[in-house]
Amino acid sequence: MSLLSEQDQRIVREHLAKIQQPVTLLLFTQTIGAPETALIARQVLDELASLNDLLRVEEVNFVLEKDRAAQYGIDHIPAIVLLSNDDDTRMRFLGAPAGYEFMSLIEAVILAGTNDSQLDPESRALIAANVSAPVDIQVFVTPT
Amino acid sequence: MARESAHIRATCVEATEFMDLSRKFRVTGVPKTIVNESIEILGALPEELFVRGVLGLPEPDAPPDA
Repeated sequence: MSLLSEQDQRIVREHLAKIQQPVTLLLFTQTIGAPETALIARQVLDELASLNDLLRVEEVNFVLEKDRAAQYGIDHIPAIVLLSNDDDTRMRFLGAPAGYEFMSLIEAVILAGTNDSQLDPESRALIAANVSAPVDIQVFVTPT
Repeated sequence: MARESAHIRATCVEATEFMDLSRKFRVTGVPKTIVNESIEILGALPEELFVRGVLGLPEPDAPPDA
């Protein structure tokens, strides 16, 4: 059974039409003892990927593929890493992307699928002038 | 912002699913943003204020006739 209604699928498909380049959704999880939210995350991602040919889901075993977890700095599961043309976009989601987080995920996928940050010119100038060292942003949200 | 600079990493954390992280950063309401595990930004801000907050910059001066 699909999570999205036919109408929602159509709306999401229209949003995703902006994507111009391949986007890979790396889902870090584990085979044995995975949290239930990891299964939900997989279902959400599969459904999202079914709506645009440029989207692909790849599951990474958090336990067996420690080098990849380290490569992307993943220490919790389920975690989603967005790749644009196989390059790390440095955008991540921790937890099942349900509720409002699903909307954020769609926005992030569009950002990964285009080369436009969608920020105001003022914001771009502030970032260009002030960022020369790593900045780690964590935004805590809830599904409702 | 992560799309704008290779130095920036952005993670969206589902707070109720990761209580260890929520406790560590004393998340009692959402959205709450933590930058470099030190700066805290509460609530959803207009873009420029959010960017300034993340970068640790002061708020812009109010317009003279405000």
